[in-house]
Amino acid sequence: MWNYEKRLQYPVKITETCPKTAQLIISQFGGPDGELAASMRYLSQRYTMPCREVAGLLTDIGTEELAHLEIICAILYQLTKDLTSEDAKTAGFDGYYIDHTKALWPQAAGGIPFNACEFQSKGDAITDLFEDLAAEQKARTTYDNILRVVTNPEVRDPIRFLRAREVVHFQRFGEALEKTKERLNPNNYYFFNPEFDTQFMK
Amino acid sequence: MPDRHTMLRQISEVSFVINDLTLFLDTHPTDKGALDLFDKYSQERKLLLNDYEQQFEPLTTDYVQTETEHTNKDFCHHADKRHFTWVDGPTPWEGGHI
Repeated sequence: MWNYEKRLQYPVKITETCPKTAQLIISQFGGPDGELAASMRYLSQRYTMPCREVAGLLTDIGTEELAHLEIICAILYQLTKDLTSEDAKTAGFDGYYIDHTKALWPQAAGGIPFNACEFQSKGDAITDLFEDLAAEQKARTTYDNILRVVTNPEVRDPIRFLRAREVVHFQRFGEALEKTKERLNPNNYYFFNPEFDTQFMK
Repeated sequence: MPDRHTMLRQISEVSFVINDLTLFLDTHPTDKGALDLFDKYSQERKLLLNDYEQQFEPLTTDYVQTETEHTNKDFCHHADKRHFTWVDGPTPWEGGHI
C-alpha cells in the first residue's frame, strides 16, 4: 500500500524553457538507469529476498525512487511547460513534440522507449544485490554526465541532490549484501543462489 | 505566521532527515543514536504537517479535517463552503511555491 504526500522530496523551481536540457534529463525518467527502472527493479526483487531486512530496504529505497521519479518529471515539466512549436524545432525536440506534445513519456535520451528489461529481477539474492549496487553507480554516472553538460543552476541543484542519494543507496545496498552473505551456509563459497536453493542459507 | 514557502521548506528538511534515517535504520535497527534522532524528527514532522494543514491545506489524507477553515485561501476553489480540502493547494511539480 502506498500513500501520496503532496510535495516534492526536494524542491524544483526552473524559470527558463529549455527543451534541449529536457531531452537529456528525460533519460533519468525512462532511460536504462533512470528512476522508473530503479523503483520497479527494487520493488520487483523484494518479494523473494531471503532476508526480511533486505526486503524492507528494497521497499524503502524503491519508494524513495518514486519520489525521485517525481522530481525528474517536475524538472522536465518545468523545462517545457512554456514550449512553443518553434522552440521544439530549433532544439531538436521536434520528434518528441510530434508524438507527445508537452506530455511526459518515459524514454531514454536517445529516444528509445522505456523497457521493462531494465528491472533485472533474477531471483538470486546475491546477483540482484550486485545488480542494485551497479544500478546505483550507473545512475550516479548518468547524473555526473548530466552535470558536466547542463549549466543552468536551477536544474543542477535538484540533480545534485539526486546524485547524492545514489551514493547513499549504494552504501545501504552494500550493507544489505553483507547481511545476506552473513546468512549464507559457510560451504556456499561461490555464492550460489540462496534465494531458490535454501540449503545455501544457514 | 511563516509563508507557504518557508513552511514547506521546513517540512522538506525534517522529512528528509526521516527518509535518510529510515534507510540507515533498515540496516542498523539497534543504533540508539539513530533511534533517538528518528523520534525527535518524527515528532517535529507531525507538528509541522499539522501546522501546515491549519494554515493552507493537508499534504496527506491523514491530515484532512473536513470542518477546517484554513487561514490562507490561495489555491482553494471552495473557500466559502465545507469541502474536501485534499483537492486544495498547488500540484507539487508547479514550482511556484517552494
